[in-house]
Amino acid sequence: MISSINFYLLGYALKAIYRERAKNIFIFIVFILLVALLASTLFLSSAMKREYMQVINTYPDIVLLHQRAMQNSTYDATVVDEVLTIPGVSNAVGRVHGKYYFAKADRVFTILGIDAFENYANPLLQKLGEKYNLKEDSMLISSSAAEILKRNYYREYFNFIKEDGSRKKVMIEAVFQLPKDITNANIIVMSNDLAREIFGYTPSEITDVAIMVKNKEETALIARKLQEQFINAKIILKEDLLRRYETIYNFRSGFFLSVFIITFFTFFIILYDKLSGPNSAQKREIGVLKAIGWRVEDILKAKLYEGLALSLSAYLLGVVVAVIYVFFLKAPYLKNIFLNNYTLLSDYRLELHLDMATLVLLFFVSVPLYVAATIIPSWRVATLDADEVMR
Amino acid sequence: MIELKNVVKKYGESFALDSVSLKLKEGELVVLKGVSGSGKSTILSLIAGLLKPTSGEVIVDGKKISKLPDHFAALYRRENIGFIFQKYNLIADLSVADNIILPLIPMNLPKKRVEILLLEVIRSLDIEEKRESLVKNLSGGQQQRVAIARALINKPKIIIADEPTANLDARLSLEFIELLRVMKDANRTIVVATHDPLFFDLDFVDRVVEVEKAKILSCL
Ligand SMILES: Nc1ncnc2c1ncn2[C@@H]1O[C@H](COP(=O)(O)OP(=O)(O)OP(=O)(O)O)[C@@H](O)[C@H]1O
Ligand SMILES: [Mg+2]
Repeated sequence: MISSINFYLLGYALKAIYRERAKNIFIFIVFILLVALLASTLFLSSAMKREYMQVINTYPDIVLLHQRAMQNSTYDATVVDEVLTIPGVSNAVGRVHGKYYFAKADRVFTILGIDAFENYANPLLQKLGEKYNLKEDSMLISSSAAEILKRNYYREYFNFIKEDGSRKKVMIEAVFQLPKDITNANIIVMSNDLAREIFGYTPSEITDVAIMVKNKEETALIARKLQEQFINAKIILKEDLLRRYETIYNFRSGFFLSVFIITFFTFFIILYDKLSGPNSAQKREIGVLKAIGWRVEDILKAKLYEGLALSLSAYLLGVVVAVIYVFFLKAPYLKNIFLNNYTLLSDYRLELHLDMATLVLLFFVSVPLYVAATIIPSWRVATLDADEVMR
Repeated sequence: MIELKNVVKKYGESFALDSVSLKLKEGELVVLKGVSGSGKSTILSLIAGLLKPTSGEVIVDGKKISKLPDHFAALYRRENIGFIFQKYNLIADLSVADNIILPLIPMNLPKKRVEILLLEVIRSLDIEEKRESLVKNLSGGQQQRVAIARALINKPKIIIADEPTANLDARLSLEFIELLRVMKDANRTIVVATHDPLFFDLDFVDRVVEVEKAKILSCL
């Protein structure tokens, strides 16, 4: 393979790039920008999708939420028994959970209430509930939540500000590790009663009902029955969440779209410019090469090397830029553009993961187009009669 | 060695060449003279296999050049023809060495072989110390030597020069004549198309052939 490469021809091609360096540097930069921009977008959206899916997979099959004035409200715990009477429901749990804003650190904690006697859909809560016997005023916190508290000098306890403005001191019973796919979540687990006290709920209030179904195929049917029975309920299906992950992204963001269009536009102008070439000096050069014994295929091979050298290196650099930007720098700015105000996940880890499909797709929208635009005009000239150089 | 037999070249309805016959012996130096548009360059292109005649034949060393497909015509030029153009037609942004080895590139020769061939021509043309200079930084005379070196590097049997002195001042024209004599002494077959009177009474020119209105008028 190496021995069949004509290094003199390669040298000629690389020098041809160098001879037009001003133009080629511009093309190189636009090319890298285009690839980096596209790759960042695709890497980011697929990484977010993957992580979103992982989280949603820990969700119950159906969540029943009470609506009042078109806003999420609470149920009385007695609805759980009503739900359990619906055929096909294998388990229903009244949950008490919510968000707690820790102003000093500007961080949001997710508080999950548990009850030792319940059977939870969430395997993590199930395990924690079995392992620890939570007392009236103690809690379990995830390692990242512990980190935030520690930074604010709360090592053994934390003072919650309750809904009525008074304080509630809660001891840290233990710090637990979350599964690898959601390590960044700031989760606090406490008894249902304590969670109600902090949020200011009455002792029988629940925020929603987590429902598991026996047969996943019946989920839609059961959801319909639930809706008939609880007219004012909002019903969230896990399968819908999995299917509609795109709604969490804001692809049509004006900023993103305009940068994208400009770069694409520039790329196509470059292609157009190349296709309308070659100029008279380049034509003459091709004619001279033919006159001194180059075959058409030699000329096209030189052009192929030229196009490949530029586009392939720009492609690879663009991908590297995107990988660094998305997976190492965690996509500052671009990430916020993608996230709507409402998202189920606030913290994406963006773990390094290169999916082949993305790389192949990007390769095919850039490199062959550029190579073709480099070769075709020269091919048109090279196949003409070469005696024009004589005049 | 080179033979044109009743060659006709038409562009549309007009004749660039009208039934031209011409024979050149090996080692012969022939000058084609004639006014602009008479068909000199067309004859050179036909000998080089760059053009196909409308009818008639071009035979070089027993091979019918006029029948060669493009691919083989290029191989034929690579092995047999050295080209010297009117405006040198060098690549200004490449070095002297890069310009001279251009005809060798498609052959994919070993580096050593290329170096030997290169040294041979740049020494004989006295441009060795300029080998890494860019062509655009050379004087006209040096560029001329580079153009000749490029024509000679593949050791061609036939050298074709189209108006080689058209863009040169008197001194450089004379210098070219000297180089031409050296090539002639190396027993190469040479065809020069020109209307420069300088070529018409040189002692080492074997024949001056006059081309007029697409026909060969006389062989002096
Ligand atoms: N590609 C072409 N298309 C149409 N006509 C052509 C073409 N090439 C040459 N001709 C015509 O053929 C004739 C001979 O051209 P040629 O270039 O051989 O002349 P020449 O003797 O070399 O002239 P000059 O001294 O100007 O170089 C001219 O009338 C020219 O216009
Ligand atoms: Mg001419």
